[in-house]
Amino acid sequence: MQRALIGGLLTGSLGGLLGSFAVLRQLSFFSDALGHSALLGITLGLLLGINPTLVLIPFAVIFALLINQLVQRSRLPADALLNIVYSTSLAFAVVALSLVETYRGGIQQLLFGDILGIAWPDLVVIAVLLLGALVYLALSLRAQVLLTLNDDLAGAFGVRANWHRLAFIILLAVVVAVSIKAVGVLLISAFVVIPACAGRLLSRRFPVYMLISGTLGGGCALLGLLVSGLTNLPSGPCVVIVQFAGFVLALLVSQVRYWSAASAVPAGTRTPGAAQAARE
Amino acid sequence: MSSSTATPVLAVQGLTVQRDGLLAVDAVSFQLARETDTALVGPNGAGKSTLVAALLGLLPRQAGTVLLMGHALGPAGQLPRSVRTQIAYLPQTLSLQGRFPLSVAEFVGFGFDPPGLRLPWAGGQRRHGAVQRALERTGCRDLGERLLSELSGGQLKRVLLAFCVVRPRQLLVLDEAQAGLDAPSSEQFHQLLLELRRQEGWTVLQVSHDLEMVRRTCDQVLCLNRRLRCSGAPDHALSPARLAELYGPNVVPYRHEHNSGVRRG
Repeated sequence: MQRALIGGLLTGSLGGLLGSFAVLRQLSFFSDALGHSALLGITLGLLLGINPTLVLIPFAVIFALLINQLVQRSRLPADALLNIVYSTSLAFAVVALSLVETYRGGIQQLLFGDILGIAWPDLVVIAVLLLGALVYLALSLRAQVLLTLNDDLAGAFGVRANWHRLAFIILLAVVVAVSIKAVGVLLISAFVVIPACAGRLLSRRFPVYMLISGTLGGGCALLGLLVSGLTNLPSGPCVVIVQFAGFVLALLVSQVRYWSAASAVPAGTRTPGAAQAARE
Repeated sequence: MSSSTATPVLAVQGLTVQRDGLLAVDAVSFQLARETDTALVGPNGAGKSTLVAALLGLLPRQAGTVLLMGHALGPAGQLPRSVRTQIAYLPQTLSLQGRFPLSVAEFVGFGFDPPGLRLPWAGGQRRHGAVQRALERTGCRDLGERLLSELSGGQLKRVLLAFCVVRPRQLLVLDEAQAGLDAPSSEQFHQLLLELRRQEGWTVLQVSHDLEMVRRTCDQVLCLNRRLRCSGAPDHALSPARLAELYGPNVVPYRHEHNSGVRRG
């Protein structure tokens, strides 16, 4: 249980941190597609007789780069393309899994994660990744934000746009790959999207937004695992339900703030954003 | 006149750019002298934004040379850091879907930092002072704590100017920066731009469809329709005959109380 709690805290924090940018860059669906296609990577590992965890990271990175190229070159809407990619890879993975005798009974663990099965080496990998992501995002904060706002604006100010875009996608792919074991294929995108959306509703400064997203991700994972332990319910879904509760709370807090600020600004003097500014 | 003053801020020779496999800019040559205001005009699809992107090193070029403050732009858009910090660019829009958790002061501060990796809190004191001055000069003093996504169109354009003025620069490139503004906001933005240009000694290159504004305020006009069709002082480049050549024979210039431009006759 101790390893599960540490794993949940680290995985949740990592998901929230990366999610803070993924959500703003509209990459939520990208992480979902990566998560689903990771099942194909795991299956390939099983079929080839290699430890799936070793296959998963290179598979996720190559897959992410291929998807990125496909989205950039095909001139089709990204959401439609991602849908094609993830549903097809999921179909291939399920067919291939049916050929692997030993995994017939273990599909539920792949789909919803098995955080109790997380080992110390997994924790070390996730901790190193969290540290790496923190350092990289802190150092490249200006570049990442400008890139999110406008590619050309970032490029004109000397940001190596292609390099940073690629680095972020690779980082996201690695995070998805190492989190699959704990979180599962179906729930991984919740770890990336929900805490970041809650953080977005509560923050007015970018570093604070990243901090809230990461903290909410880690905190909700910890709380979800405790709920799971106390109720004997599946761990992954419990964490996601707690994350959702956190999101609803953030939504309520942001609405209350908005209403109280709006009522503090005299009618007729309201300008766009005046209500939000008034509560500062 | 010293040699650094005589060196054009931007010198373009035979620039040719393809976009999506099509020839978008064909053998374009021109120069921008220091502290001048140049407008790039032409119909939609004429290659104006492509030209601007190539000048900034955002798009590869098939042929030609670009010298920025005497330094050659590399094939992949490389420029010395000292030159890159002298250039500011104002896009048409920012991608601000929904609530974007970035304050105006934070955004303007990003314009202060030189390119490269650095911790967000490094140089905080100096940056804070520069941001406050930039907000003051652009009439955005009260907007510092607002979110970027809470601003009106006119406020956002002023904040973008604060982003440019937060550190000294030589070249300001605007890509239809007044797009989406109503007539009073557009006029207000332009007055502010003129004032800052005078104070800062900026050399300005702006893509614009507002021919009346171009006629009133610019020193030089470049008429582009894949190739450079004409260039020179506004009275010369924007004559009815030249406009007909650029936009087609059914287009005539018109003037309006609030706005002006071209219309199809």
